[in-house]
Amino acid sequence: MELLQQIFVLPFVDMVSMPDFLIQVVWEGFVAGVLYALIALGFVLIYKASGVFNFAQGIMVVFAAMALVGIHDMGAPAWLALLLTIALMGLLAITIERVVLRKLVNQHEAILLMATIGLTLVLKGVGELVFGGGTKSMITEELGLPTGSSDWEVFGGIVIFQHIDIAAAVIAILMVATLAVFFSKTRIGRALRAVADDHQAALSVGISLHQIWAIVWFASGIVALVTGIMWGARSDVSFALEIIALKALAVLILGGFTSIPGAIIGGLMVGIGEKLFEVYWGPIFGGGTEAWFAYVLALIFLLFRPQGLFGERIIERV
Amino acid sequence: MQTLPSMPHYLLRNAEQYSQQVAMRHKDLGIWHEWTWADMLAEVQAFSLGLSERGLKPGDKVAIIGANRPKLYWTFAAVQALGAVPVPMYADAVADEMVYVLDHAGVHFAVCQDQEQIDKVLSIQSELKDLTTLIYDEPRGMRDYDAETILDFTQVQFLGRQSLERDKSRGAQWQQGIDELKSDELCVMLYTSGTTGKPKGVMLSHDNLIITCVNANNFDNLTIKEETIAYLPCAWVGDHLFSYGQSLTAGYCVCCPESADTVSADRREIAPTYFFAPPRVFESLLTSIIVNMEDAGRLKRAMFNHFIAVAKKHGEHILNGESVSAMARLHYRLGDWFVYGPLKNRLGMSRVRVAYTAGEAIGPDIFRFYRSLGINLKQLYGQTEASVYITAQPDGEIDADTVGTPSTGVEIEIAETGEVMYRSPGVFMGYYRNDEATASTKTADGWVHTGDAGYIDDRGHLRIIDRAKDVGKLNDGSLFPPKYIENKLKFFPNIKEVVAFGDGRDVVTAMINIDLTAVSNWAERNNIVYGSYQELAGHPLVYDMVQTHIEQVNQDLIAEPRVAGACIGRFLVLHKELDPDDGELTRTQKVRRAFINERYAPLIDALYSGRDEQFVSTDVTFEDGRKGKLEATVKIRDVALPEPLRKAS
Amino acid sequence: MTVADAAVADSDVADAGTAVERNELLSVENVSLSFGGVKAITDISFNILEGEIRAIIGPNGAGKTSMLNVINGFYHPQEGSITFRGKKRRRMKPYQAAASGIARTFQNVALFKGMSTLDNIMSGRSLKMKRGLFWQLLHVGPARNEEIEHRQRVEEIIDFLEIAAIRKQPVGKLPYGLQKRVELGRAMAMDPDLLLLDEPMAGMNLEEKEDMSRFILDLNTEFGITVALIEHDMGVVMDLADRVVVLDYGKKIADGTPAEVQANQDVIDAYLGVAR
Repeated sequence: MELLQQIFVLPFVDMVSMPDFLIQVVWEGFVAGVLYALIALGFVLIYKASGVFNFAQGIMVVFAAMALVGIHDMGAPAWLALLLTIALMGLLAITIERVVLRKLVNQHEAILLMATIGLTLVLKGVGELVFGGGTKSMITEELGLPTGSSDWEVFGGIVIFQHIDIAAAVIAILMVATLAVFFSKTRIGRALRAVADDHQAALSVGISLHQIWAIVWFASGIVALVTGIMWGARSDVSFALEIIALKALAVLILGGFTSIPGAIIGGLMVGIGEKLFEVYWGPIFGGGTEAWFAYVLALIFLLFRPQGLFGERIIERV
Repeated sequence: MQTLPSMPHYLLRNAEQYSQQVAMRHKDLGIWHEWTWADMLAEVQAFSLGLSERGLKPGDKVAIIGANRPKLYWTFAAVQALGAVPVPMYADAVADEMVYVLDHAGVHFAVCQDQEQIDKVLSIQSELKDLTTLIYDEPRGMRDYDAETILDFTQVQFLGRQSLERDKSRGAQWQQGIDELKSDELCVMLYTSGTTGKPKGVMLSHDNLIITCVNANNFDNLTIKEETIAYLPCAWVGDHLFSYGQSLTAGYCVCCPESADTVSADRREIAPTYFFAPPRVFESLLTSIIVNMEDAGRLKRAMFNHFIAVAKKHGEHILNGESVSAMARLHYRLGDWFVYGPLKNRLGMSRVRVAYTAGEAIGPDIFRFYRSLGINLKQLYGQTEASVYITAQPDGEIDADTVGTPSTGVEIEIAETGEVMYRSPGVFMGYYRNDEATASTKTADGWVHTGDAGYIDDRGHLRIIDRAKDVGKLNDGSLFPPKYIENKLKFFPNIKEVVAFGDGRDVVTAMINIDLTAVSNWAERNNIVYGSYQELAGHPLVYDMVQTHIEQVNQDLIAEPRVAGACIGRFLVLHKELDPDDGELTRTQKVRRAFINERYAPLIDALYSGRDEQFVSTDVTFEDGRKGKLEATVKIRDVALPEPLRKAS
Repeated sequence: MTVADAAVADSDVADAGTAVERNELLSVENVSLSFGGVKAITDISFNILEGEIRAIIGPNGAGKTSMLNVINGFYHPQEGSITFRGKKRRRMKPYQAAASGIARTFQNVALFKGMSTLDNIMSGRSLKMKRGLFWQLLHVGPARNEEIEHRQRVEEIIDFLEIAAIRKQPVGKLPYGLQKRVELGRAMAMDPDLLLLDEPMAGMNLEEKEDMSRFILDLNTEFGITVALIEHDMGVVMDLADRVVVLDYGKKIADGTPAEVQANQDVIDAYLGVAR
């Protein structure tokens, strides 16, 4: 009886009695959700265009952030470090297309997945070798990103907004908008959608798969870099971040592997959901629910709606 | 009332008064092109002068054959400016049908939309001795034709511009020619498709049209600000007024769609303020709405059903400006937000100020459905012989079963036989080369027989019961109004056309045409497999479905004392769609009863014989004009008559 | 005489006048193709002349589609070469084939199902659009003008194929016959010198076949596009094609005008399934 009350009554009483705190929790969940969504977005881009289940998306986030800080540490000014990192991501995309994808074209999905797991190890190894394996802090101020915080008085309490969080949300929205325009309005966007729909037909109208693959890997590399910067600015930059990037997988199961809106909504659901759960229901489980909440949610989805919120419906034909 | 003497006079007036206002739009290659009144005058003048160069003389007849294209509308004015007479024709008529009209009218020129129409005219050219020149709008496929007698529209315009350049006074001469036109001269000849016999050429004078148009514009307050979409056959008197006469006299803009297939998308883009459609169009739009809704998600469907019910309850009262509770208004407003608004937008009716339906009676339920959404749909009653307007419903006096009060300048009398008679400034000059028909339709003092039975109700509104000669009696003496019964059935989206029989019989029977779009959709949802229209029409489950519809209609009929005796006792579902190409419908899609009685005599006999199936073989015309035979064994079913009737008998 | 008949008559007249002067557009020389030891095509040679309609026919499994795939670079033959507009190649990538003016359609409609009719046909212009990514992103200036220019051409094709009513509809939901038409439109949008059609009338009813035949004839006469098509319906082949090449079990068994091919004993045997 008491347990039922703890689950079904008390959390909601808390929420209503301290609405300012609720807003704070939702906001923090929202910002985390935005970052999950970005990781998932990079993943969806690649999966749609090339059918590759890119296990390395998480490590790309860390790699990009590490590279940025590493290059800055080597003495380059922040703007140059940023440009060089972008160039590095481009180089990485071309290399992956040349060395991995082109050789494995038309192979089974599982083989491509194994290749991206291999890629994870390579990126991690090279990253540690070149930029060092320790924990670094993001060059937030040098990049001109805001620091500090603002208070907002509401419902007789105070909600604190970190400026970097606001910046993260704004930049993420801008990036998604840019991608949307890119996909719907430009020739290359159209070519990307074409490749995602039908490889053969795309080839027949003269679209080069190699070029498109390099472009999507580059695009998702840029998404990874932005995510890495934002994430690094909120905590620290280290290869341990990779674990958090795994949560993007749960996001994908929620949103569907092929849907960009799905990635965004899924990301926000996981971000906000896990924060609310941790704060209001966490004590029942002795805390630490953030570590597993996303995966349990994903498991529930797999049982009841395996195609995800926005995925193409899976129809078993007899 | 001061009016100008002729249609071209109005073009000159508009080009001067409203020179920069948009007169016409046309969507071509995905883009809306537009012409101001000044542009339009220049185009018309060039073409008119070109026609004159090619030898068109006053009094000559010019056939206009094709879809709603600016160039074809310009042809009307260009021809009239020379004192010649335009004769628009139904573009979907097959060549054999065209011969009669082209020959009867004695056309000298034919202005065609495209190769298809040119080919049709060429195939019957040998029978047309007066025909000298063919002109086409769309050059596709026209490369290898005889360039001496078959010309591009722009080529003729070029001839006109050339002559103007050679001799500047040609422009002034042209205008002078217009000034010499007389208001009582022949303006246009419109052939009525007629449910019986050969088409008749209705001659309308400039005054007939102009006075009627000006009156109609005043009645609904139509101004230069209106926009309409021209999509109905331009041979039909309705389109001639809405897209030509009223546009010229009011100065409003007419938009021509890209093609017949794109009308609904184009209408959405234009969102006309003044809209006209025969009941058939409103029926098929409603069918497509309902089919779409059945495919939609559960939430969407529930919301649609809920708010449509709200609209049914309050919508018309709100539209009529009656007092309605604040709560109901709020509920309706909410529905407008979620359902009616988006729906009207989809239909391209979000800006409609006045919408009319006419041509034949509309099902009351269909009529109310549109009104309940807040669309000011009204009915009018008209004829080609009256330049359309006989009666129309004034705003706020709308009723599903009346057709309104007499239009400005129209007098109405009900003859002793119950037939509606009228006299008006719009009354036609006569039928071309058919004095006998003229004499039997129009009396010496200008009264015209409509052929419809009706009466004036206590509010002064005209009610049409049926075609006078169609209303019959069953053997027990009860009234049999076929159209009334048919319209009730046609409200069901699954039913496209109905022919009811019963005059001089013991019981009413019906021949049903299913609506392929709606029924195939229904079949898909119910996992019914079929290979052809014929197979679908004969499917037992389709019969079951039609039977439930008929039972519902019988329930309605029994509740109305006047028609309670006319419940349907037997029916069949016809194995083919009724088709104007086979002569079963008129070009305006009205049922030709006499023809159907003859053609399907075995089926009708079977309906009254107690047999449960009947073999039938009919001649049909395929889309490409080839002829063939269609054979089928059609099943016939009994319907249990509703309770009270059974007790009585 | 129907319109389609008239068009046939016209093209016949045109043939008689120009057949002598036609240049060779493509020639296939001694091509052999095998998959892991299984021979799909054995030592085939034939050519396609500029402006003609060339049919490739043969029973199922004769290697017709493989031949098309070799011509547009999907398959690389182990032996032999292909000369297109005077350039001789053994291996050609699909990208290069498209860039040099070869467009194609597929046996089982390969459209971009999620995109609209308009976007599908626009994608046929991919190779013709040159403005950089930067301008495209801004969607202003030269890139916008370029887009408008290409849209114009695409609209002409939409008008030609009479598919204006489905311009904005996602193609995945269209009936099969219309999808085939959109696919033809996409290939036409490439302004190709050579158009390869893999069973353009497969799965169509009579009326749709007549429409498609008319479009193929019109695009051949009005736009001067050379066509090579695979087709099963012999009636269609006889009406459309100027010359026919017949394959059976990966080998060429006949080549000539429709009348010649029809009278050829090997062809009759192959179609009747005479044991060899």
